Amino acid sequence: MREERGPWYLFTGLVLGLAAGLVYAWLISPVRYVDTAPASLRADFKDQYRALIAAAYLASGDVERAKARLSLLKDDDVAQQLAIQAQLAQAAGAPESEIRGLTELAARLNPSLSLPPTATLPTDTPTVAGTATMTPTPVVVMTLTLTPATTPETAATNAGPRPTVTPLPTLTPSSTPGAPFVLQDQALICDPKPVQPLLQVEAFDAAGQPVAGVEVIVSWSTGEDHFFTGLKPEVSPGYADFSMTPGVSYTLRLADGGEAVPDLAPAECEAPDGSRYWGSWKLVFIQP
Amino acid sequence: MGRWFRFFLVIALGITLGLLYGWVINPVTYVDTAPDSLKQDYKTDYVLMVAEAYQVEKDVSLAIRRLALLGSDVPEDIIRNAIQFASSPQVQYNEADLALMRALGDAVQNWDPSLEVSPP
Repeated sequence: MREERGPWYLFTGLVLGLAAGLVYAWLISPVRYVDTAPASLRADFKDQYRALIAAAYLASGDVERAKARLSLLKDDDVAQQLAIQAQLAQAAGAPESEIRGLTELAARLNPSLSLPPTATLPTDTPTVAGTATMTPTPVVVMTLTLTPATTPETAATNAGPRPTVTPLPTLTPSSTPGAPFVLQDQALICDPKPVQPLLQVEAFDAAGQPVAGVEVIVSWSTGEDHFFTGLKPEVSPGYADFSMTPGVSYTLRLADGGEAVPDLAPAECEAPDGSRYWGSWKLVFIQP
Repeated sequence: MGRWFRFFLVIALGITLGLLYGWVINPVTYVDTAPDSLKQDYKTDYVLMVAEAYQVEKDVSLAIRRLALLGSDVPEDIIRNAIQFASSPQVQYNEADLALMRALGDAVQNWDPSLEVSPP
């Protein structure tokens, strides 16, 4: 009699086993995420993690450590991600130091950047492979004062999964401290491509290298805006732009105390067919 | 083979298939996790980053807000745990990094929120 029931009891056993497993997995001992890695963080937490990496980089100037930390987030394009976040942070009114940190780290990591060789950021002196001795010196990057670690020597010999420090022979900042930028050239650019007239700014150091992370202040009768060079590295590391509104006159200056450029208003250009369109002002600043 | 034997055998087979699927073919991938679930070594490095930034910014309130991402523990405990882990023989952070974290710990311990409020 029993053998005539067929194999259904086996199926019943399988269902019971699955049900027991699910009850255990979902109710008795549900999954608790522990020991996760930064790559699994939710997007907004990743942004905060990234911003903190940039803040730590601003403080220490240790780009290798910053790179190792950023690699934990497994971003496809680290520099681009930093630049995007800097733009979003700027739009959201984030603290200036956060924007600066993200911008300078993005500029530092972007391989197209050519940074000034006269920089005076901390100099790292490699000793043996995997071990380094770092001797920071007090420096000023733009308007931010970097204070060296209280201990003059940092032996990067930590084991474990924390970032391995492999210092470069020299670290270069994105701006040489010193004299303020001066306006070298101002020109009306007639290019029908931009829909809106732009204020285009390019900053160069004394060696003619584009400089990222330079704060630009644009003011007009009813407001003011701040932005930084280097957020569009695909144009140039020293480039930044601002959309003007026709009929409004702007004054532009760099935050380092350089000269102000007043009366910047959208000007019209004429196409070969006689049609008219808004041109953009291009301002080139150089650090003497 | 008895029926009961086969019955339990198929349950074991089901479990085996489930584990094979769950661990090998389609393992769990953690996404959208919160920082409080980070492994202790990442948490420790996070605390070090906060300490590095604090070294320059000198903003205890900001440092505490950053530490709050690591969970509901009081900041002193978060820093203490990090220092404890960083001092353990298997990782052994360098003394400069430990000093930074200790300095942050001292600052947090001595922080008085009422001093942050500007007088009317």
